[in-house]
Amino acid sequence: MRRKRLPPGQKGADARGITSCAATGQVMSVLLWLKPGERTFARGGIHPAEHKELTATCAIESFVPSSVTVPVSQSLGPAAKPLVEKKDLVKRGDVIAEAPDGLRIHAPISGIVKNVQREPHPVLVHDTAITILAKPTDDEPEFPEQPGWMELSREVMLEKIKHGGLVGLGGAAFPTYRKLTLPPDAKIDTLLINGSECEPYLTCDYRLMLEDAEKVVLGAWTIARMIGVNRCLIGVEDNKQPAVEALRAAIERLGIESLPFPVAMEVVLTETKYPQGAERQLIEALTGRVVPRRGLPLQVGIVVQNVATAYACLEAIRNDKPVIDRVVTVSGLGIAQPKNLRVPIGTSIAALLEHCGGFNGEVVKVLAGGPMMGRALADLNVPVVKGTSGLLFLTRSETNLDRYGACIGCGECLDVCPLGLEPNKVSQYVEWGRPLETEVYGVLDCFECGCCSYVCPSNRPLVQFMQVAKTAYRNQARSRQ
Amino acid sequence: MSTDSLHLSYGPHIRRGRTTAEIMWLVNISLMPALIWAWIVFGWQVVAITLSSILGCMVAEHLACRLTKIPSTIRDGSVVCTGILLAFTLPPALPLWMPFVGALLGVLLAKSVFGGLGYNIFNIALIARAIMMATFPVEMTTRWLAPGLIGASQVDAFTGATPLAVMKAATQSGEALQLTGVPGDMNPWLSFFLGLQSGSIGEVSVLFVVLGAAFLLWHRIIKLYIPLSVLAGAALMAPYSDAPLLYMLSGGLWLGAFFMATDYVTSPSTPRGQIVFGLGIGLLTGIIRNWGGYPEGICYAILLMNLLVPALEEWFRPRRVADRGTPS
Repeated sequence: MRRKRLPPGQKGADARGITSCAATGQVMSVLLWLKPGERTFARGGIHPAEHKELTATCAIESFVPSSVTVPVSQSLGPAAKPLVEKKDLVKRGDVIAEAPDGLRIHAPISGIVKNVQREPHPVLVHDTAITILAKPTDDEPEFPEQPGWMELSREVMLEKIKHGGLVGLGGAAFPTYRKLTLPPDAKIDTLLINGSECEPYLTCDYRLMLEDAEKVVLGAWTIARMIGVNRCLIGVEDNKQPAVEALRAAIERLGIESLPFPVAMEVVLTETKYPQGAERQLIEALTGRVVPRRGLPLQVGIVVQNVATAYACLEAIRNDKPVIDRVVTVSGLGIAQPKNLRVPIGTSIAALLEHCGGFNGEVVKVLAGGPMMGRALADLNVPVVKGTSGLLFLTRSETNLDRYGACIGCGECLDVCPLGLEPNKVSQYVEWGRPLETEVYGVLDCFECGCCSYVCPSNRPLVQFMQVAKTAYRNQARSRQ
Repeated sequence: MSTDSLHLSYGPHIRRGRTTAEIMWLVNISLMPALIWAWIVFGWQVVAITLSSILGCMVAEHLACRLTKIPSTIRDGSVVCTGILLAFTLPPALPLWMPFVGALLGVLLAKSVFGGLGYNIFNIALIARAIMMATFPVEMTTRWLAPGLIGASQVDAFTGATPLAVMKAATQSGEALQLTGVPGDMNPWLSFFLGLQSGSIGEVSVLFVVLGAAFLLWHRIIKLYIPLSVLAGAALMAPYSDAPLLYMLSGGLWLGAFFMATDYVTSPSTPRGQIVFGLGIGLLTGIIRNWGGYPEGICYAILLMNLLVPALEEWFRPRRVADRGTPS
């Protein structure tokens, strides 16, 4: 049944991956009484409690704080240089910083620049940031639809998303124009749009797909246009059925297949399983193709973009609106009113906390991102950046503060690792002070999804052990140079 | 709004919730059917022996954690589990101080000196039993009780050979099999299956061992790779015995297959490694039973295969997904 969906020209490569994968999958689904036909990656994965009910029914609201602090580093790559100074007046959408590669940062609100100095940052701890005090002007920019946007050439579209400061909004914050600027010899046949949202608690992508399905679909179309492929799959986990229906209806309504650049677009249901939203796992789930070690998706003919990124692409191309805001899920049992909010980039977490009614009970952890891969914050005065998908306020009962013990060799981490790695061995070698002997156990393949730590009965911080080993290898490579 | 109480750590920030202690206590619960059955068949001695063995394990663990200044692991149920498993391998009429000494030495020599929970190479209960076999050879091979449901004459020690010893003698001499200690009018294989025969406390009843194992399977604590391959390996050697069916139902085979060989710490963690490990145990059990010096084979078979675990883990590694990479 998977075989039918194979694109032409990929048979040789796919056949190998798919036959072994489909056969194993079939056997597994019989043995484990899985629902037949559900697509997922072949190996490993977990199903943590979703907790999406806290915000799944919360429609996206807007919230504009009285000031924003916009860090100049918000994507992988060189940091931007501030183009404004203290006391400058800026308008919403004005360029306020630009990186050497042309990626720009824009004013999320209109107002006066209060400061350009080092401020707390959710990922980098500290970073140069531009603080703007809100001061609405009479002619707020509205970003109306530009006529003829569909007829724009690929090059113009790419230019717009570069200048619009687009980065992957799923959390990785990789510059979108770089992902969409393909090497001349690349043979891409499929665009995957990632609507999996496999992290617990987060519902911002779900709400976006549900409320703005047409924009998501049109956004996917713009990306397909930019990379020149006529096939697009939108992967959504089966716990988001309403979003699936909304997307399917939108595809029907818009007639994507009869636009000037026709795209065969399909919404594909996947089994709800973490880390389905990881790029490689999604590719495997939807197409059966396996990205080679340290390879890129385009080596198997695929480009992946998140639904929120697709939405932002449309806004950048159709409305000339740069990335100045994003949807953030504010959730957890530790927040009084969980919400989905569209907020300007640079909104401080303290302001969001106040807007959502403050703490509810004893909060022991505040996270930027989901509970699996998100970061614990020490300071609530950090801003929302382009890669911030969620803010979680967790109480003691929701999170894990236990100490860890010795490896008892249960093998659970081997079972759940989606890559077939051996976190147990890596952790033991690191404990023995021999991190440079762990390559054989796959440590360099690890993308830190955290499934291993999640299941470990001894509560071992396996992801951190992996990081220690990876750092040791990086340092070794550096010292050899 | 104070942020002093915020905890920092790397993800994941949530946890499945099954802890080592939970696993160990579930294993202990799964051993209860066999223990209760042993109490019904052999009387109160088995409870006393089990408690003595658990006490020996706990004392050793407590001492070791104190001396080595590692956090005490006494509450996580792992030593209780060792204690019960050791008791299960002992004759039901053993003097009560012997299990205490055996357990104490077993935990100290097979666990504590290796670094405590998670670091031992050998199955602790089986090392303790091996120590006791060497230390108290007479008591360990003669203190049997005839089976009899509560009320029957259980008090008299029954000094005779166990079914395995009888079978071995019959196999080696070629004479007809004469079982002792089985209720007279009962079909022998049914009495073996139910556990109405003489033998060690926890291993006589295949039925109750399997019931306990089913509980562990249900909770996904053990998988079938090891137990099934142990039984398969043993079955390959069964035709060389005098009574293949009784051979499969007697001795500690089932207890060993489901509860001893599946010990997380001392078994390989990959499916292929586990299958080879199990087959090795099964085959060695058969070889020792049929041609070795002891009637019992599984204890030493498991200990021998424990030695191979690090090698098996290296030889049978999981296949890494990225190796299947399909560049176009």
